[in-house]
Amino acid sequence: MSYEALMLFKLYLITAPVLFVIGIYAIIVTRNIISMIIGLEIMTKGVTILLAAAGFFNGRPHLMEPLIITMIVIEVVILMIAAGYIINIAKKHNSLDVENIKNIKG
Amino acid sequence: MTVSLIFIPILLVILLNIPRLSGKTAYYVALAFFAYQLIAIFIPTFGSVQLAEVVNKLFRLNVYADGISKIMLISAAIVAFTALMTSKSFVKHDSRLFSLSNLMLLAVAGINGIVFARDIFTVYVFIEVIAAASYIMIVLDKTESSLEGGFKYFIISSIATVMMLFSVALFFLVAGGTGFEEISAAVHNFGGNTIILLAIMLFVSGLLIKGGLIPFHAWLPGAYSSAPAGVSIFLGGIVTKTTGTFALIRFFYSVVGFNDNIKMVLLIVGSVSVVAGAVAAITQKDFKKVLAYSSISQVGYIVMAIGAGTAFGIAAAVFHIFNHAIFKSLLFLNAAAVEKQTGRLDVDSFGGLGAKMPVTSATTAIAFLSAAGFPPLSGFWSKLFIIIALWSANYKGFALVAILAGILTMAYFLNLQKKVFFGEVSPNVENVKEAPLSFTVPAVVLCAITILAGIGFYYIIKTLIFPAVGII
Repeated sequence: MSYEALMLFKLYLITAPVLFVIGIYAIIVTRNIISMIIGLEIMTKGVTILLAAAGFFNGRPHLMEPLIITMIVIEVVILMIAAGYIINIAKKHNSLDVENIKNIKG
Repeated sequence: MTVSLIFIPILLVILLNIPRLSGKTAYYVALAFFAYQLIAIFIPTFGSVQLAEVVNKLFRLNVYADGISKIMLISAAIVAFTALMTSKSFVKHDSRLFSLSNLMLLAVAGINGIVFARDIFTVYVFIEVIAAASYIMIVLDKTESSLEGGFKYFIISSIATVMMLFSVALFFLVAGGTGFEEISAAVHNFGGNTIILLAIMLFVSGLLIKGGLIPFHAWLPGAYSSAPAGVSIFLGGIVTKTTGTFALIRFFYSVVGFNDNIKMVLLIVGSVSVVAGAVAAITQKDFKKVLAYSSISQVGYIVMAIGAGTAFGIAAAVFHIFNHAIFKSLLFLNAAAVEKQTGRLDVDSFGGLGAKMPVTSATTAIAFLSAAGFPPLSGFWSKLFIIIALWSANYKGFALVAILAGILTMAYFLNLQKKVFFGEVSPNVENVKEAPLSFTVPAVVLCAITILAGIGFYYIIKTLIFPAVGII
């Protein structure tokens, strides 16, 4: 890896965790269940960037492409399930506030 | 055997949906598949060679079966069969039965996939398959509490899978591939590398969240106790054990190997889970929640056994996974029977149910004794192996914790048994009858497996478990 490539790589390596942390922060502070899902998506986007960067800097982008496509398909399925949850919670409580789903104690 | 056990269920789901068949057909097809899986393990060539040839022409799959896989497959088939059978008497609509059968087939395909996987990305994909199926199964009844428990499970376990994906990316960066061999080679070549350490840390944290170990357990009691009866059997019996502990065994034993720090982390997390799970179980008022916390405690035992880091420890962990799958599904099954007959699960409102439901009471007592480690039941032997493994690996303090926690296990189970089944007949349960045959027959069968596995433990470890981990 040349010096420029290394610097470029560090940029990716910083961006991905930053997006990850933003996502976690969003999930923790928000009071709206849709925002929680958006936080989850931000985390996933950070990981997608890292996956693409890992494939590129390892010199094997062709190996990484199928993995990223598979991952996106799975992500869509999971999002659909999340949408189902949100619709049902909204129907039950008539609001999207997180307070409604805090009755169960761990 | 390997390929067909992943592809047949997926194929069945497609066939059942195009054209859409009735719920009853789906139910019997799913039961037939679980029975087939149980047979196919003992007779590997049973109707699968031709299919495997066809599939191998179409796809390039990196799968492989070894001894540990066999035990997981047996547990999965037994638990799934019981869970689906129990669900039938709770499900009212035909379409609900249809969805449940399909989802359970998909989840079992996912479990088989994890068991056979030789690639870290494949493990991730199948974990997501199981997770997606369980998110839907939990909320099939659309009750308020199940939406809550399910949503918590959804958020926490999605964070776990994102963490695992993060570590897949880091492993790819260093190893240039996601196969177990490539990663294993990379770990041996640059073991002290920060990126590798970070990747291992993230992957293990993800698996510990999935397994519901103590610092990461927040989702587990809600999800288990709010799920429909049959689904809690499935979740408690096999799902968390496969996605959490089995993947952990595979990851450490076949891929990265052990070192002292890793062992210490696993031992501490395991022992904290054992003790805290048991203490929390004593204070619970809901039948299913007691079982959920006891699940955390038992998974703690399994993780401690893995933390011993020896082949004997792995053998003990695998044996305990099998025993736990059997006795925990038996307990959830009996909880379902009690719920069906009385319509409630609040522990304090029962009393003297043993006189009304003798079979349920007796099988529950045997499952409790097995879980608490009473000879000669199967739970005793696996706990004994765990303690011997810890002692011989020179972790004597942790072995002592494992022994003393057995008393706590006994405490919460005796408490539950006394409040629900023994004592004066409470007015709430005056008119209760014994559960129908669809509950008592599986209960007696599971109970027989517990007793027989306890008496014939030598045969089981000699033929299945020790060869699986390379002892003998």
